[in-house]
Amino acid sequence: MDRRRFADLSLKTGIVAAVASAIPGIATLRGRSRSATSQEVAVGDRLVFALGQNAGQAVTEGSFAQNEAVLAFPEGKSENHDNLVLVCKLDPSAVKSPTDMAGSTHGIVVYSAVCTHLGCTVRFSEEPMDMAPFPHIHCPCHSALFDPHRGALVMGGPAPRALPQLPVRLSDKGEVLVSGPFTAPIGVAS
Amino acid sequence: MSISGWFDERLSLDRFKAKFLGKPFPVHTTFFLGEVALFCFVVLVITGLYLALNYEPSAEKIGGTSGAGGLPAAYASTLFIDANPFGALLRRIHHWSAHLMIAAVVLHMLRVFFTASYRRPRELNWLLGLGLLGATIGASFAGYLLPYDQFSVTATAIAYGIARSVPWVGPTVADVLFAGRFPSPSTVPRFYAYHVVFAPAVLAALMSAHLLVLLKQKHTEPAASARRDEASARQIAGIPFWPQQILLMLVLFLMVLAAAATLSAFLPVHPSEYFGPPGPATPEVKPDWYLLWVYGALRLIPGNLSVRVFGATIGSEAIGAMLVPGLISLVILLVPWLDRSRSSLHYAEDPRSSPTRLAAGMVMLTLFGALSLAGFNVELGLSVPALWVITLVAPAAVGVASYLLAARSAPPSPDGGPAGAH
Repeated sequence: MDRRRFADLSLKTGIVAAVASAIPGIATLRGRSRSATSQEVAVGDRLVFALGQNAGQAVTEGSFAQNEAVLAFPEGKSENHDNLVLVCKLDPSAVKSPTDMAGSTHGIVVYSAVCTHLGCTVRFSEEPMDMAPFPHIHCPCHSALFDPHRGALVMGGPAPRALPQLPVRLSDKGEVLVSGPFTAPIGVAS
Repeated sequence: MSISGWFDERLSLDRFKAKFLGKPFPVHTTFFLGEVALFCFVVLVITGLYLALNYEPSAEKIGGTSGAGGLPAAYASTLFIDANPFGALLRRIHHWSAHLMIAAVVLHMLRVFFTASYRRPRELNWLLGLGLLGATIGASFAGYLLPYDQFSVTATAIAYGIARSVPWVGPTVADVLFAGRFPSPSTVPRFYAYHVVFAPAVLAALMSAHLLVLLKQKHTEPAASARRDEASARQIAGIPFWPQQILLMLVLFLMVLAAAATLSAFLPVHPSEYFGPPGPATPEVKPDWYLLWVYGALRLIPGNLSVRVFGATIGSEAIGAMLVPGLISLVILLVPWLDRSRSSLHYAEDPRSSPTRLAAGMVMLTLFGALSLAGFNVELGLSVPALWVITLVAPAAVGVASYLLAARSAPPSPDGGPAGAH
C-alpha cells in the first residue's frame, strides 16, 4: 500500500469512526422523563372536573344536562395530559355501536379529549351549527369532527381514527368511576 | 496622531480600504430587501440579549401551594419581563422583528426569482438563501415556545404531533428534537438552547457564507443598466460602499428599527398575559402567516387518506405537513436547475422577459395564497371540497393570465445586450 492510499484510508476510517461515535450520544438527547407518565388511568379512578370553579371536584351524573360535556381528569392524575377526557352526557337511546355500551351508563360516554390528529384538546359542540350535525365533537386546531353517539367515529376533517373511549360506571353517589382501560392508544398514532 | 492613523499604522488598513471601501453597490429599490433582513437580525440579537437577561428557561411550576397551582417559571419570567419599564415593548419589538425578517427574506427571494438572479453561477447563493429562510423560520419556531403561554404550548404540541407522524422514524426523531414526549420538562431548556445558541450561530454562519459568495461573484445589476454602451459593460455601475452605501444602510437600519417599534407600540403581538398559562383546553390557534399554508394543507387532507408502506402508516398529518410542503420546497430548491434559459452573468432580468418563469412564480404564490385561505374555512364558511377547487383552479387561472399578460407586453431583450443589437 502506498503512502497516499494509506493516508486516504486513515482519513476515511477516522471520519466513519467519528460519526459512529456520535450515534450513542443521540440517545442522550431524549431529555429527562416525566414522573407524570407513571400517572396512568386505573380501574376505580374517580373523574374530577379539569377546569372552572369546580376544578378538582367529582363529576356526577347530575353535574350537567343532556347534550353537554365537561373536561375531566382521573382524580390526582392531572399532570399526565394523556389522561384528559371529555365526559359527554347524551340521549341514551341515541348511543349506538361501535360505542362500548357496557362502558357507558345513563347516556354518559367518556372519550379521550386528545385529538388523534395532532393532539389538541377536542371540544363538545355547544349549540347546533350548520356545518355539522348536533351534537358533535370537534377539534379547534384543524376541524376534525367526531360522532359522540357512535364511538367517536371520524365524521369529517383530517383525523385518522376515532377518539379512544374510556369505559365508566356510576358509583352509589352518582360519581363517574373508571371501569376499564382506554379502548385504543391515546393521541397521535406512532 | 489621529485614532484611525494609530490603527492604520498597526494593521496596515490602507490595502483593505483600497480593496473594499470603493466596492460598487448597484442601486435598485428591490436590492435592499436582503439588507432589511440583515438589519432585522441585528435588532433581534440586540433585543434578544436584553430578554435573555431576565428569562428563565424552565417549565417547573413556581409560586403555587404544595404542588398545586402556580405558574410555569418560563411564563412567570415572561410576565416579569413585560412588567419592567419598556419590557413589553422590547419583547414585542423582538417578535415583530422576527415577522419582518421572514417577510424581508421571502420578498428578497421573490425579487431574486422574478429577476432570474439565481441562475448559473449563483445557484450556491440560492441554496444558501433557502437555508437562511429555513433557519429563520426554525429560529422563530423555537422562540415561539419560550413565553410558555397557552398559545405557545398548543402550537408546539401540534408541531410535536407533526414530527411524530413521520413514517418509521417519527417518534424517535420527535423525542430527540423536543427532548422527550411533549410537554416534557426538558423541552423548554432545549428550545432555549436552540433559540439563543444554535439559531443565531447557524444564521450568522449562513449569512457570512451568503455575503462572501456575493462578494466573490458580484451583485447583479438592474436590467436597465444593460442599455449602457459596450465599453462600460465590463464594469459594475453602482454607488461606492464608502460613503454613500454605508449611509444608505444606516438610514435603512433606522427605518427597520422605526417600523418594528411603531408596529410594537400599536399592535400587541403575542400577548402572553391575554393567552394565559398553559391549561387543559385548547384555544383557537392559527399559526403565524408564513406557516398558514401548511395549516391550510392540514385541513384539506382528509383523515381517511393514509397509505401503508413497509409497515409504516403515512397518515393525513404526514401528507399535509411533511409530504406536500416537502415537495413544494424541493421544487423551489431545484429552481436554478429547472430554469434552462441562457444565463446572464451581470444583469438581473426584467420579470416580463420570460413569461414561463413569471407564470411559474405566480402559480406558486397563488398556491400559497389558496392554501392559506383554506386555513380560514370555518370563518369563511367554505366547505373543504370548495377549497379544493379554489386550490387547484386559482393557481392555474393566475398562471395562464400572467403568462398571457407577460407575453403581450413587449419584453426587453432577455440577456442583457442593448435592445435590438443582436
